[in-house]
Amino acid sequence: MDYKYIEQLLEKYWNCEASLEEEQILRCFFRQEEVPAHLSRYRSLFAYQDAGKMLKLSDDFDERLLAEIERSVVKAKRLTLQMRLMPLFKAAVIMGFLFTIGGVVKHSMNTGKSEVVYVYDQFERERQDPQVAYKPDSVNASVKDTPQKNVNKQ
Amino acid sequence: MHTISFREDILPLKDKLFRLALRITFDRAEAEDIVQDTLIRVWNKRDEWQQMDSIEAYCLTIARNLAIDRSQKMESQNLELTPETQEMPDAKMPDQLMEQNEQLSIIHRLINELPEKQRSILQLRDIEGKNYKEIAVILGLTEEQVKVNLFRARQRIRLKYNEINDYGL
Repeated sequence: MDYKYIEQLLEKYWNCEASLEEEQILRCFFRQEEVPAHLSRYRSLFAYQDAGKMLKLSDDFDERLLAEIERSVVKAKRLTLQMRLMPLFKAAVIMGFLFTIGGVVKHSMNTGKSEVVYVYDQFERERQDPQVAYKPDSVNASVKDTPQKNVNKQ
Repeated sequence: MHTISFREDILPLKDKLFRLALRITFDRAEAEDIVQDTLIRVWNKRDEWQQMDSIEAYCLTIARNLAIDRSQKMESQNLELTPETQEMPDAKMPDQLMEQNEQLSIIHRLINELPEKQRSILQLRDIEGKNYKEIAVILGLTEEQVKVNLFRARQRIRLKYNEINDYGL
């Protein structure tokens, strides 16, 4: 049998001048049981190409992928909801914080008033003695001691 | 005009994407992840499908780029990229088949020792049966560049393979 055609195709293959159809012919040829000795070494090369096409992903890949896509769709929906509500949450937290601070301040102010009441009690006792009115307070005392100002000073 | 369906038109590309990713990363698990990531990205671009010239080329481009990124990352982590070793033949296997297996291992190793560009082009041409134009689009090269790289790849395989068979190297 004349293998000249196959040898020509092989030469075209190495030079990258063979068409896809011609390369397919070579693959078919080398799939045969009987291949001439001088060409037999190339059998494995084309057998490798055939075998390469059979490599596949695991069977459950589709399932896992579609589950992952669905998960990302749900996650996107949840994120949008969160995005819309987050400013409200933040506002609520701030308001809560302000109310808490305000309450603390108010409480401390209330506690202060009870001391004032205590002082008022002292005034009550003082008022019974009329002499209190003649007692100099700190403001009156300092006015007497101040030296006269020179109004012409420029 | 045919409306592109994810299940009918895109999902069936998964094995082709897997084989390319595996050829680049040499890692099955990594290649599977890459296919999943690729298909999710393509899914997220569903508004643009109808405008694409070739959705297959688009998918293969993404897969290849992801695979290159991951293999570079693996390399920087000092993980050795060792091509997957072919399974050792069974001792009970007939001699002819054992020899065939050994030859296949040699070819597998020789291809995987090629630089990535040559490896990818060989994969897309010899195994996936793509024409030069399609390969050029996927790799972002001219058809001439694809042919040059394919030529270098095939010549190298031929040379090395003959060396091994002639001199048992």
